[in-house]
Amino acid sequence: AITLCPNVPVYWTNRALCHRRRNDWLKVEEDCRRAIQLDYSSVKAHYMLGLALLQKQELDEGVKELQKALDLGRGANPKGYMVDEIWQELAKAKYMLWEHASSKRSWELQSLKEACETALREKHFLDDSQPEGFLDEAGISHMKQLEVLRQVFRKAGEADIPCEVPDYLCCKITLDIFCDPVITPSGVTYERAVILDHLQKVGKFDPITREPLDQSQLVPNLAIKEAVQAYLDKHGWAYKLD
Amino acid sequence: AHCTLGLALLQKQELDEGVNELQKALDLGRGADPKGYMIDEIWQELAKAKYLQWEHASSKRSWELQSLKEACETALKEKHFLNDSHPGSFSDEAIISHMKQLEVLSRVFKEAGEADIPGEVPDYLCCKITLDILRDPVITPSGVTYERTVILQHLQKVGKFDPVTREPLDHSQLVPN
Repeated sequence: AITLCPNVPVYWTNRALCHRRRNDWLKVEEDCRRAIQLDYSSVKAHYMLGLALLQKQELDEGVKELQKALDLGRGANPKGYMVDEIWQELAKAKYMLWEHASSKRSWELQSLKEACETALREKHFLDDSQPEGFLDEAGISHMKQLEVLRQVFRKAGEADIPCEVPDYLCCKITLDIFCDPVITPSGVTYERAVILDHLQKVGKFDPITREPLDQSQLVPNLAIKEAVQAYLDKHGWAYKLD
Repeated sequence: AHCTLGLALLQKQELDEGVNELQKALDLGRGADPKGYMIDEIWQELAKAKYLQWEHASSKRSWELQSLKEACETALKEKHFLNDSHPGSFSDEAIISHMKQLEVLSRVFKEAGEADIPGEVPDYLCCKITLDILRDPVITPSGVTYERTVILQHLQKVGKFDPVTREPLDHSQLVPN
């Protein structure tokens, strides 16, 4: 088909899909780039190009392509099956980016902390004229210094340490961080897909307040959505989906 | 009673106890009548007191941080000069590594003191009309969040529509966020 009609983007993405199945990532990249030249808004092309770049360890470029695919996909059809898949891959890639950057940061912090502790200790022993064993004002002040130093380095590295995601950023049903939060008339916020599932399979009521609820009453909680993105930007470890 | 006691304690500089009493007054007041006139007044006093508490604690923290930062910088610099055994012939690598150390040190102390430096409150925590931090946020069917009193005023005086999306809006549709 490509030989006969080389300007149809779908033929290129179809072939890219075949290459992907065969794990021939170089060819996936080639074909996707051709498809994008023909149709810049091809979700599949950006998606597979992103995956190919990740394979080559080009994390930043790969993440950009996946993000483009996600934005285009959401624009066209927010509940399409592809959107979920793209989001999964993007989250995985963002997690890798974070892991890479944060180990570098941790190492840097640890080295500097040790250098400071050593330098402060040496200076204290050089400056101090008290015989060993006597804990005078200078000694106490030195201990306090090391204590504050430890606190400072702990605080500086805090964002990189995985902890519990704050409640208000998590779905009340799954307890996972939000992807697409919606709020009910009772004022409770849930993950869109999960509450829709509940309304369909369990009953037309709010799971927590038990007030009657129809899917048309669900409102996208834009403020929470923004809050979640800000949190992920600062705490990349939270991209890890269980 | 809690409110008056709170204010009296603040006068005596008993900040923590004063704040506790004002908070109690606010919770009781909100429980009884969320839109009562006293609520606003109590909230104003509580906010002032909490700011004083922060100011007090944060200057102490800043001073502590600054002292330690200077002590580290001095110690690292002295160590760098002591380590070099050929005065006048510093290796470039050692200098660059030392400069990098000081740079990272600066970053570390900045990061550690960040929470105490006034910056911009994130957009998603502010009312879309007043741009002030939200106290009693409500969300409209369009998904936008406003300060309750401000949006109610808008609906009464300007018109029954969402200020940002301009979709029709009635006050009964507002949901606490």
